[in-house]
Amino acid sequence: MLRVAGVALGLLGLASCAAPPPKDPDALAEYKEANDRYEKLNRKAFGLTMWANKYTLRPVAKAYIWAVPRPLRNSFGSLYQTMNEPVVFFNDVGAGKPRRAGDAFVRWCINMTAGLGGLIDVANYAGYKHHDNDGGLTLATWGVPSGPYLFLPALGPSSFRDGLGYGLDVGLSPWNYVPRGYGLLTFNWAYNIMGTINGMATNVDALDQVMKDSLDPYATIRSAYQQQRKAMAEAIKNDHRATVPDWYHTR
Amino acid sequence: MQSSIPRRHALALLAATSAAMPVASAWAVDAGAQARSFVTMFGNKLVAIVNSDIALEKKKQDILPLLGQYVDVDAIGRYCLGRYWRTATPEQQDRYLKLFHQVLVNAITDKIGDYRGVTFVVGSSAPSGDDTAVSTVINRPGQPGADTQWIISTASGSPKVVDVVGEGASLRLTQRGDYTSFIARNGGNLDGLLRALDKQIANHH
Repeated sequence: MLRVAGVALGLLGLASCAAPPPKDPDALAEYKEANDRYEKLNRKAFGLTMWANKYTLRPVAKAYIWAVPRPLRNSFGSLYQTMNEPVVFFNDVGAGKPRRAGDAFVRWCINMTAGLGGLIDVANYAGYKHHDNDGGLTLATWGVPSGPYLFLPALGPSSFRDGLGYGLDVGLSPWNYVPRGYGLLTFNWAYNIMGTINGMATNVDALDQVMKDSLDPYATIRSAYQQQRKAMAEAIKNDHRATVPDWYHTR
Repeated sequence: MQSSIPRRHALALLAATSAAMPVASAWAVDAGAQARSFVTMFGNKLVAIVNSDIALEKKKQDILPLLGQYVDVDAIGRYCLGRYWRTATPEQQDRYLKLFHQVLVNAITDKIGDYRGVTFVVGSSAPSGDDTAVSTVINRPGQPGADTQWIISTASGSPKVVDVVGEGASLRLTQRGDYTSFIARNGGNLDGLLRALDKQIANHH
């Protein structure tokens, strides 16, 4: 919850320090495409995050890749994904996509039982492929504009809408409603730390490559993130899975 | 009330449209099919090299002519420079394209080693502006399939790749974000970019 408060406070504080847009029409078009009114502040957050990452998370992720073989890493990844399935489910419902929500629900049920709590992605083999959804995307399907781009310290690329969506997701995760106790506390810490390290391990090569190959890694990540979020929101809008299972039609 | 288009003109217009319609749709189907078969052909050639047992250095050598033939590197380079292409001098444009060729070749050949045992499935095609987008799924052992779109342009006379869209992000648009931001932050001077590219190529190994 502290993270949510931090994000919300940051969003409020930002509104007061935007840079004025350029006059030249070509430069203005570029400025609009970048959608980055708080570039100065964002770049600071980016620099700080990348510096911290270099000395903390990155070496840990590298060691994790070295120590843990790929099949096991994939297992941890699918465990993390399964535990997040309720958030995907609620967002699918929110986006008005019942069939997607149904798929997320079935994935949760299969993987929590036959998949040993998510360690094996059995649902995938049963034809229920994983799909992503989060609060930012749900808001996007409601027509909420992304608002200016944000780079949140430690959390990474985001936007006003996606930052708000992140807060919603924390609220939607059932793990935050289970009665507090030592077991849950341990689980939550282990879950979040493992998820963070595993996520970094999956992306560390791509991130290294961006940092090495880009002349302006900040701008590269900004562009790729905004394109990707737009494409993801479009994909959800255009997802017209049948609202009844396939077997219903064939009978 | 008098119609703004006289009836016989309207009829002629209708006739003309209905005559043009099948032609237009036939052309669209044709462009889509052509782009799909192009991606299949190009992809098969790439995969054959990437999956073969020859040494990595030899693979890099073998891939170069394919890139020259089937990728419109000049068009991608011009796109990546954005508004700065128009304000560049012919000498700067020339030098930039030469450097860009090398940067792109390095970026592609660097990745070859990561793609052992790769397979791909060609999906549907759809118009994308003046070009055609062909969807593919690239599968690597032990990793989830990557949705990748290939943007095929025939502007140069024959079908060529002008962009690759991976998981929703266009490679050339992202690259343009990188270059234009770099130039803007270096006083809007293209020479700064040329020096940086020079350095990037020199540091590549």
